Amino acid sequence: MTFEVLDGGLLTTIQDGGRPGFGHIGVPLGGAADPIGLAVANIVLGNDPDAAALEMTMAGPVLAVHRETVVGVGGADLGGVVQPGGRRLEPGAAYRLAAGSTIAFPRLVSGSFGMRCYLAVPGGFDMPVVLGSRSTCLVAGFGGLEGRALRTGDVVGAAADAPGAGTTTARGVGTVRRNATGATVAAATVRVFPGPFGGIDMHALDDLCAAVWTVGRDSDRMGIRLEGPLLQPGRGMVSHGVTWGTIQLPPGGGPIVLLADHQPTGGYPVVAVAITADRPILGQLAPGQQVRFEVVDVEAARAALVAQRKTLDELAVAVSEERRWLDSAGWAGA
Amino acid sequence: MTTSGSPMTVQPPRVVTYGDSAVLVILGETVDPEVNAAVHRLASAVRAAAATGMPFGAPVPGYASLLVPVDPLLVGAAATSDALLQLAVRALEHRDDGDRARREITIATRYGGEDGPDLAEVARHAGLRPADVVELHASVAYRVYMLGFAPGFAYLGDVPAAIATPRRETPRPRVPAGSVAIADSQTAVYPFHSPGGWQLIGRTEVVLWDAARNPPALLEPGDRVRFVPSES
Repeated sequence: MTFEVLDGGLLTTIQDGGRPGFGHIGVPLGGAADPIGLAVANIVLGNDPDAAALEMTMAGPVLAVHRETVVGVGGADLGGVVQPGGRRLEPGAAYRLAAGSTIAFPRLVSGSFGMRCYLAVPGGFDMPVVLGSRSTCLVAGFGGLEGRALRTGDVVGAAADAPGAGTTTARGVGTVRRNATGATVAAATVRVFPGPFGGIDMHALDDLCAAVWTVGRDSDRMGIRLEGPLLQPGRGMVSHGVTWGTIQLPPGGGPIVLLADHQPTGGYPVVAVAITADRPILGQLAPGQQVRFEVVDVEAARAALVAQRKTLDELAVAVSEERRWLDSAGWAGA
Repeated sequence: MTTSGSPMTVQPPRVVTYGDSAVLVILGETVDPEVNAAVHRLASAVRAAAATGMPFGAPVPGYASLLVPVDPLLVGAAATSDALLQLAVRALEHRDDGDRARREITIATRYGGEDGPDLAEVARHAGLRPADVVELHASVAYRVYMLGFAPGFAYLGDVPAAIATPRRETPRPRVPAGSVAIADSQTAVYPFHSPGGWQLIGRTEVVLWDAARNPPALLEPGDRVRFVPSES
């Protein structure tokens, strides 16, 4: 295996593209809270964008490298660094790590947006597939590594027969991050569809979009609690299926935005639902971060998603061209 | 149109956009066994349509609605909504099939004591003896309305009106796995240790969720469930 965990960090889990198809038996979709961060970490290695990777949260792990490997890094910048040598592991690129080195992701780099960073290995992390996914389902304790977060002493890595050769530093990935979400510490805006308005106070949507919200401390992979003005929720609907990005109004509290690990059903009034293209922003909202909401139409939501996928496709092409060039220059396996 | 059974208050189904990744098919506004049965018929129909190429993801039943995941690049397509509306109308009209074929699952339950610390409170609320609460709770073949909250957590109903009890004012930070609980007219078994606000009346050793089992959830939407008092 590739890594021994010297320190698990705050919450480090195996996540992939998620576990669709089991909501009717109560299973959360799961998967990376920032799907773009996951995709970038994988694409710079030439992996499938949804391959299983490590998701780190705010304070990442310390990992001993037992076998030479390349890694891809995506998502937020948690100050990743290789020792000895002190080389930085910034998101949006791939790096070669020597056996015997140690990597750490100590803390969020001041002034940078987000709080979740992704670390990918060639072919993805070797984990059993449970219900179609390698993602960790924390609430039920299955998937990933024994259904739990990484801790000291764990050993994880790529499959033994995974391709370990090749090196790359993909170009233009900083641009990908900016174009993919557009969010900064100064201003994060999440685009939403209104409704579905089952018995909800119609002013609640206007109030949601007029306010600047602060992400609360009691936020996790299931949802984000927002602090700001009190909204009038209305009576809501009887419990129904909900989605990643659903914005609920529980009585007497701030709005809750559901993330990847949300419960599949819920009964709180729903004021709006974030568009799919902005899930990566939601997954990077750190406690204390300010966020606004803006209503968009179907066309805008579609255009945002198309643009996002195009950017990732272009990155994949750039990576594959760079590899071909390096291979032809006799660099492979260096 | 209606083929058998008692008349149900039918409202026309509605298909509403639920963000850009799903649509919600609304069949009713209340917790009603007949409407819920139609939800499960619709879920079967949507799964069958998806298997033949319609662009639907795996549907998620609610009490009175069905969430249908759709491709975000197709949402708002009129053809999708029309197809779902037709399936919904059919699910509301054809009501004679399915129910007889449902599985009935029994859950051996130790009531009261350390296993059911709120049994006395439920009895007090009902103005009954604890033994009467147990008898009433075990007297019904409950319907699995839907799952949610956690993998394998099934919302069962309806609890006999005499013992329906509101949630606790302060939720417990940790409810033991296997706890049998009541909230209003619903009853459920907690599959895992978790926080919870329901009234705990008993506990079972039955395993509600096992990811290595096929299917992993003991209870599935539309099943029938009976609780049987047990000493061990």
